[in-house]
Amino acid sequence: MWKIISGIFLGWSLGANDSANIFGTGVTTGIVKYRTAILLTAIFVLIGSTIEGSKCMRIVGDLSRLVPIEAFLCALAAAITMTILTYFAIPASTSQAIVGAVIGAGILSGSADFSKLIKIVACWILTPIGGIIFGYLLYHGLKFIFDKTIPSLTYRNTIYTVGILMAGCYGAYSLGANNVANVTGIYVGSGLLSCQMAALIGGLSIASGALTYGKKVMLTVGKGIAPLDPFTALVTVLAEALTLHLFTQIGVPVSSSQAVVGAVVGVGIVGGVRTLNPKMLVKIAVGWLMTPFAAGLMTMLFIYVMPA
Amino acid sequence: MFLEKIFSKGKKENQVIGHITKQIKLLCTAFGFFKTALETDNPSLMQQVMDIERAADTIRRDIISRIYEGAFLPYLRPDLCKFVEVVDNIFDLLEDTAYRYLDLKLPEQLRSECIQVAFLNRRISEMLLITFESMIKGEDLREKILAIRIYEKKIDDIKFDLIRDARKIEITNFWDGEILSQFLSCLTSISDVIEDASDYLQVIHLSMK
Repeated sequence: MWKIISGIFLGWSLGANDSANIFGTGVTTGIVKYRTAILLTAIFVLIGSTIEGSKCMRIVGDLSRLVPIEAFLCALAAAITMTILTYFAIPASTSQAIVGAVIGAGILSGSADFSKLIKIVACWILTPIGGIIFGYLLYHGLKFIFDKTIPSLTYRNTIYTVGILMAGCYGAYSLGANNVANVTGIYVGSGLLSCQMAALIGGLSIASGALTYGKKVMLTVGKGIAPLDPFTALVTVLAEALTLHLFTQIGVPVSSSQAVVGAVVGVGIVGGVRTLNPKMLVKIAVGWLMTPFAAGLMTMLFIYVMPA
Repeated sequence: MFLEKIFSKGKKENQVIGHITKQIKLLCTAFGFFKTALETDNPSLMQQVMDIERAADTIRRDIISRIYEGAFLPYLRPDLCKFVEVVDNIFDLLEDTAYRYLDLKLPEQLRSECIQVAFLNRRISEMLLITFESMIKGEDLREKILAIRIYEKKIDDIKFDLIRDARKIEITNFWDGEILSQFLSCLTSISDVIEDASDYLQVIHLSMK
């Protein structure tokens, strides 16, 4: 059972990195306090992972045939990659880290299933596009509804506060449901854990990451990409949550970072491209490209130096 | 904290709105007193304008503290506070004008134009109240803000006539001339500050859309 420690470490890293995508905009716009944000994230991540987490579990384990020790090394390499990127405040993707690591191990053992990889990569490409589409549509749709039904400043103030809170809870639920497979999916594939146990352990580890180490990335996501007002913050979180939930139903774990950046870009398109910070987008794109390769190479190195 | 916010149905926000409404209504009253004091050359009514300014100052402090105790989204608070401060600047300017008036003997050839400006100041402050109430209801502000700009333009036109007429008055003492000049300057610049206040209302309105 000690082999799941690296998965717990990866879950902690994911929680620290991706909790920013849920309440980052809410915290930086001052609507939600940081403590409230991380507490709600932890609770709803756990609920999401236990209720719907099993939907994405199989695909990660099926990428390569792993023995338990390889699963341990894959999770370790992915976790180290994620921690380094988190340290440099780059919103990175755990999905890409773990898939890069599993494929790296699969290449060494000759068991890598590239047909499944194509489906996953297609979903990676579609994730930011989904975020952009949801962001754009929700912006126009909700704006129309709010303008028609809630003209009062006081009510709108309350709606934004409650809306961002509820959208954040839904986002945390979707994160848990979709991303728990990144953390413990490989242990299901290697036969070390059952789906339910993997979902529970993964959910707990993500929650612990959110509770202990999420502040730096939270501020990067909230402030660095585009200036957000309460309405766009609400739209962004809701678009991200919907994107993640959609891919959960498809059964592929995707990046919440890609979803949230897509959503911010979608909202940015409504306001004109000038509201986007290209430097920050380049930094994120570099992180996305580096993540799978770094995790894959690190896994190969670990397996290579590991005594037989 | 959040449950409190949901179930209070915006109690704190409504208190702040109530106080700001009271502040602007006091402004209208002060302008009314000022105009009557000019018409009747009544120093005790001018004194009332200063008393109202002190009352409004207390309301301003109360509003600011309520806002920072948690009323409204943090995103909105700086603009709301700025609006309240600008309204307070209008009170300060009106008080300065009242002080100058008590210090001088207003030449009769300027009185009717000064009364006209005072009347327009009263109307523009009433329009500010209407604009604020419309903003709270989420109504369109364009026409109201346009009306404020038109009033401001009218006051600007009178200002030039006033300056022209004032130059015809023979000044025998430097300080009499200085105080008259300051009085006219304060009286005619109040509308500019009211226009600034209306601009803040527009900013708040747009930022919540």
